[in-house]
Amino acid sequence: MPVRAAETSAPPQHHSGSNCGHTSPPPFTLLSVGQGFSGTQNVSSLQKEEAWRVNVRIQGCDLENGYLCGTMEALNVPMADTPVVTFWEGEIVDTKNYTFFTEKWEATHDDDIRHWTKFPSFSALLSRVEVDGGKSLDLSNYKYIFMRWKEQYFVNVGTDCGLTIAGFYYVCFSCSDGSINGFYYDPNSSPFQKLELKSTNEGRLGFSFSSYELR
Amino acid sequence: MPTSASASASASSTTATGPNSDLLIRLNSPDSQVQLKALRELKNRIIGNRTKKLSFVKLGLVPAVAAILASKAQAHSHSDHDCNLLVQSAAALGSFACGFDAGVRAVLDAGACPNLLLLLSHPDDKVVDAGARSLRMIYQSNLAPKCDFLQDKNMEFLLSLLNSENENVTGLGASIVIHSCETITEKKALCHAGVLKKLVSLLQGSPSQRDNSLESLATIMKDNDEAVSEFVGCESGRALSSVIELTKDRHLRTRFLASRCLIAIRNTSSCYLQDMGIKTKLVHLLLELHDDPGQVGDEAPFAFSSLISQKVDLQKIALEANAIDKLYNHLQKNHLHPKRFQGLLLALADLCSKLESCRSRFLSLQALNLVSEALTHDSSDVRTAACICLRCVSRSIKNLCAGNFMNEMIVPPLVRLLDDPSISVQVAALSAVGNIVVDFTTHRSLFLQCGGVKQLVQLSRSMDSTLRLNALWALRNLMCLADYICKQGIFMELTASSLASLICDPEPFVQEQALALIRNLVDGCMNSVELVFAEDGIILDAVGRQLQSASRDEIWIQGLYVLSNVASGNEVHKEAVMHQLVPQADNGAQSLILKFLQSNESQLRIAAVWTIVNLTFPSTPNAFSRFVKLHNAGIVSQVKSMASDPCLDVKLRVKSALGQFKTFSDGST
Amino acid sequence: MSLFLSSTIDQAYHQLAEIEAELKAAMAGSKKVITREEWEKKLNDVKIKKEDMNKLVMNFLVTEGYVDAAEKFRKESGTEPDIDLATITDRMAVKKAVQCGNVEDAIEKVNDLNPEILDTNPQLFFHLQQQRLIELIRNGKVEEALEFAQEELAPRGEENQSFLEELERTVALLAFEDVSNCPVGELLDISQRLKTASEVNAAILTSQSHEKDPKLPSLLKMLIWAQNQLDEKAHYPRINDLSTARLEDPSV
Repeated sequence: MPVRAAETSAPPQHHSGSNCGHTSPPPFTLLSVGQGFSGTQNVSSLQKEEAWRVNVRIQGCDLENGYLCGTMEALNVPMADTPVVTFWEGEIVDTKNYTFFTEKWEATHDDDIRHWTKFPSFSALLSRVEVDGGKSLDLSNYKYIFMRWKEQYFVNVGTDCGLTIAGFYYVCFSCSDGSINGFYYDPNSSPFQKLELKSTNEGRLGFSFSSYELR
Repeated sequence: MPTSASASASASSTTATGPNSDLLIRLNSPDSQVQLKALRELKNRIIGNRTKKLSFVKLGLVPAVAAILASKAQAHSHSDHDCNLLVQSAAALGSFACGFDAGVRAVLDAGACPNLLLLLSHPDDKVVDAGARSLRMIYQSNLAPKCDFLQDKNMEFLLSLLNSENENVTGLGASIVIHSCETITEKKALCHAGVLKKLVSLLQGSPSQRDNSLESLATIMKDNDEAVSEFVGCESGRALSSVIELTKDRHLRTRFLASRCLIAIRNTSSCYLQDMGIKTKLVHLLLELHDDPGQVGDEAPFAFSSLISQKVDLQKIALEANAIDKLYNHLQKNHLHPKRFQGLLLALADLCSKLESCRSRFLSLQALNLVSEALTHDSSDVRTAACICLRCVSRSIKNLCAGNFMNEMIVPPLVRLLDDPSISVQVAALSAVGNIVVDFTTHRSLFLQCGGVKQLVQLSRSMDSTLRLNALWALRNLMCLADYICKQGIFMELTASSLASLICDPEPFVQEQALALIRNLVDGCMNSVELVFAEDGIILDAVGRQLQSASRDEIWIQGLYVLSNVASGNEVHKEAVMHQLVPQADNGAQSLILKFLQSNESQLRIAAVWTIVNLTFPSTPNAFSRFVKLHNAGIVSQVKSMASDPCLDVKLRVKSALGQFKTFSDGST
Repeated sequence: MSLFLSSTIDQAYHQLAEIEAELKAAMAGSKKVITREEWEKKLNDVKIKKEDMNKLVMNFLVTEGYVDAAEKFRKESGTEPDIDLATITDRMAVKKAVQCGNVEDAIEKVNDLNPEILDTNPQLFFHLQQQRLIELIRNGKVEEALEFAQEELAPRGEENQSFLEELERTVALLAFEDVSNCPVGELLDISQRLKTASEVNAAILTSQSHEKDPKLPSLLKMLIWAQNQLDEKAHYPRINDLSTARLEDPSV
């Protein structure tokens, strides 16, 4: 039997940032490659009430390394002629690769706790997280997945588009219905901008799933 | 310009060729004084001169020299004159064999080896030296006969060589080990016979004995954990320490061979050489050896690759040691020897195979420009290495999403390689293409414009199953999240009938990729589902047949997702899936879907539950009738029994399905 | 993503200024002064074995090929040379042959010594052949030189680009009637012979598993390097003249 070409030069093991179909299944089918979500980000300030329409699509998922990535599209952004698309990378709080403590991006433990506690599903975990960031928790069968999404670059506009991606999102994904809630954190932006997204099936009468494999 | 008539006269007697046949006549002369003079002259003319070697081989001088050797070697005369003839004839034969395969072949064909071996037991050291040197030259070529160590007399002979006082003779023994030792059985036999111990003792010998010993030890220990543990235990660890010490030797080649020996140990038994210090030292040493302009520098990238390949810890150390910058600097040099070029590309490939930090360093150096140039190199080895390097660097969804590869610099030359005369280049190019086409922006069109799809489709019909597999894998990735126009284009090129036959390919891996491709094809906008109904739905029929007959989870998973995705379409699509999954008449056959729901593989169960969810999706006109059919086939009760499935994803999807079922039962009962 | 609220550029400037200040502070600082007394005391504390010194001397004599001196030194000091003294005689004969312009003789001697040396060292082989060509040109044997260049050297040039360039440079000697005005005239200098001779000498030593350079000069180079390093940190009694090794008082 001929051997797989990829295996002759380098046995396919686990590769960071890749979605190897056989070795690392996606955490949840609703959070797998190609899945779309849409909803709003509330950007209200003291001056006025405002919300953007937001679409998110998952483009990569690597459970083993607690990695997720995708794009985020903001639709009715003030001052922008076109929708603004960013590429983000996510850290999945699996207590192995990442804990609830961010330890970077100018977020203190206090900032972390203040944001996580905004999710009702987090309250059951609070006491353990306060001790060690949740290292001792086993979240593999928890119905919610906590993540941090950090935007890396603008996909379709320049950095002079009047928006900043200096901050990051605290995110909570509900495995039951595929809904996503999040809060944007950036010391230099309005606090607690809320992200609310629902899983979409794009005109289909059901759900469908793609997959790719990197070698 | 001054000229002199006498000059040309003296030239012909000393330097110029003269009639070469004259040399042959003199070698065949009955006067051994004439023979000796001719041998010396021949030797001095061929040493260092390939052109001369070749022309003398063609003139048939090698058999003449071998004849002199034979007559004197078997004569047992030890006069000075005869010794001299032996020395000169052996030296001439050795020079013919030095770094020159045509010469080695001529020497072997002339039957010189057995007579050279006789010289090793000659009482005169000079004769022994000459014989051993010549044989060593021969054994450095791949053409030399393999020595079968499993025969006792050969093993005894080898040991006698290694036990010799004469440096050239022990060197010959080591060369024979390096040349002939291949299988693990041979390696073990050598250890049992005490060769390993003997080689360890030679580490204390002269520099050349040390080098020979290091190289032989590396050969014997590679993939041979028994030998490694014997070596590590040798002289209570002193052997290992002395090899470690030799990585600091003054001689470049000794440092290199010592590092190769340590790499062989580490790669064979990962329990040794784990401490940070030695790993760091090896990385630094090998990087430094790249600076050598000679043979060591050519071989260093390959040794470096074997050190870091598949080992994240070492790749991290290498990154910290600036390995990417250093290799890149070497790669920038002009007129690189193809072997070195290949080695550098493969070393960079290994460095970038796992760590995102390595890839981003690589990209920040603009090293891709050089790799792209290498794609059009004359040497097929270099082209292959460039593709492998590209594959490893592009094994990163982050960089793929940033559009780092789908550009004019990379794609056109890469697509041309899909048509390369060498299959190994084609396979390597396919593997790079497969990663690079994972692109969720509009850049995918560049690949289509370059004729990439046509090439991939052609390769998916190749006789070679490796090419088929890789071409389909690339098409599957290209299809992932593509827009309808792109999908339609690929589909037209592929055709429904050839897709249907690829689903039933004799090779299971090909079947799996074909199904994954169709799964991606029918995802996304609703129109794309229609594509699998072309040609009377032969694709869906093929999927259904494959689900019945296949025996691997991976194939079932991909096949089931094809059906699940189709089932997320309209009424007609859902009914077609019902037709494949639930037997029409009650013929007693268990429905396929029941088997998948009961599988031990959670990925298969989840795909099956999604199919049920899609088939019974609420507010579609015939959902209720499908529910009834599923109910009658025992599927509904099976789903109900899965309410506490151990896999959370399955459990939650079962919950959604049960929620949908509830609306029907509420209406019906 | 979010709208901008404030700028962090001021903060960055502030941090940069802090780093610069720290750097400046680190660069300053004064040199230490070590007196002659202190220095000599330190030197006396370093123990060097007499045998090691003797080995160093023997290594120098053997490597440089002073057979007679090595023999005498062996008798006087009881230091055993690390190589058979007879081989030194052979090596010196080769070296001398090149120095006298008898290159062909030198090549034959090397091949008798060990045929592998020139077979596995294309660069050395080329340089010897080149030297042979130079000698032919020096002796006015133009035709023979041309024939030799064609027959022996041209094929080497085809194998290696840098050889070809050197060959062209050498053949250029033939184009000038008066080589003293020739831009490549230096090839005819005696220094070219010495260069080739020392290359052969080194190759023979390497083939005999011996260091090609004596250890003493590299030790002296190390001494100079170490003193240069120390100059940046301290004033101390320095050795300026290596042949006398006299300690000069520190000049502060």
